[in-house]
Amino acid sequence: MNELFAYLRDTALAIWIREGDAFPWIETIHVIAIVTVAGTIAIVDLRLLGLAAHKPSVQRLMEELLPWTWAAFLIAATTGTLLFLTNAPAYAHNRAFQLKMVMMALAGVNMGLFNLRTRRTMHLWDEQVSPPPAAKIAGLLSLTLWAAIICFGRRIGFTLEHFNG
Amino acid sequence: MPVSEVSAWLYATPVSTHLRDADWIVPTVQSIHIVAIAILMGSSIVLNLRLAGLMARTDSAPVVRQRYLPWLWAALAVLLMTGLVLVIAEPDRVLGNWVFWTKMLLVVVAFITTVTIRVPMRDDFAAKAGAWRIIAKPLAVLSLIMWVLVIVCGRWIAYAL
Repeated sequence: MNELFAYLRDTALAIWIREGDAFPWIETIHVIAIVTVAGTIAIVDLRLLGLAAHKPSVQRLMEELLPWTWAAFLIAATTGTLLFLTNAPAYAHNRAFQLKMVMMALAGVNMGLFNLRTRRTMHLWDEQVSPPPAAKIAGLLSLTLWAAIICFGRRIGFTLEHFNG
Repeated sequence: MPVSEVSAWLYATPVSTHLRDADWIVPTVQSIHIVAIAILMGSSIVLNLRLAGLMARTDSAPVVRQRYLPWLWAALAVLLMTGLVLVIAEPDRVLGNWVFWTKMLLVVVAFITTVTIRVPMRDDFAAKAGAWRIIAKPLAVLSLIMWVLVIVCGRWIAYAL
């Protein structure tokens, strides 16, 4: 694994980002994308928790907001990968980075379970102000995990060691 | 008193020193700051895209305004407070930094555009009445772009020194 990380760090793309002016710009786009992901998904999460959004139907709220969430996520993942390349060994060994990846995996599992199980009964509670407990738990988990992703992400910048190993 | 002296004085105050000495405070306050930006962005996206006719077209504009504007103001209040803590903790990082002052100027512009979009969103006919028919959409796009530019400047404070 360490060889792979070292290889990635030495690719022409990684060197170009690291040694030019691209890094801060990629980082800036990454931040804009992440706050868009977290901000739009929070509206859906809060609706699942029983806080009214601008339309009563959860299904329609998701159809309206989640395409924006996914587009922003795609940008966040792409820019995040580019940032990772520039110093892959250091990021891979950084505790905050590792925890951020774990939180993202958990957010994915939470979303998967919601889509596979809770969403099946959605026609029964779609317009109810207060959805069933399973939906509320999914909303609360998503809110918490995305806040944690932001916090661990910010922490990477304070703890990253620029070692060459 | 020149900015550099204000900065040096603030840096030397006990409160600034305390905030810096605890090395968890600045990263934590910055994290809260970014979470608040996410809430502001989420609210601003729905509000401005609704006004621009790109989202929630079938939903009532005053309902969208009533649901999201309080969240935006609450997030902004958190941002100003956490931002103030960050300035007190590291005045040398921001007070002499032109990117920081550009950010502050953009915050004022973004604030004004956000206050202004309340008017064409006050009822479902306002955005179609009079001059709003022409101004409403560009104003919505401008407002969203202003908040994005605030984020851009925020990230670049660290690189402008």
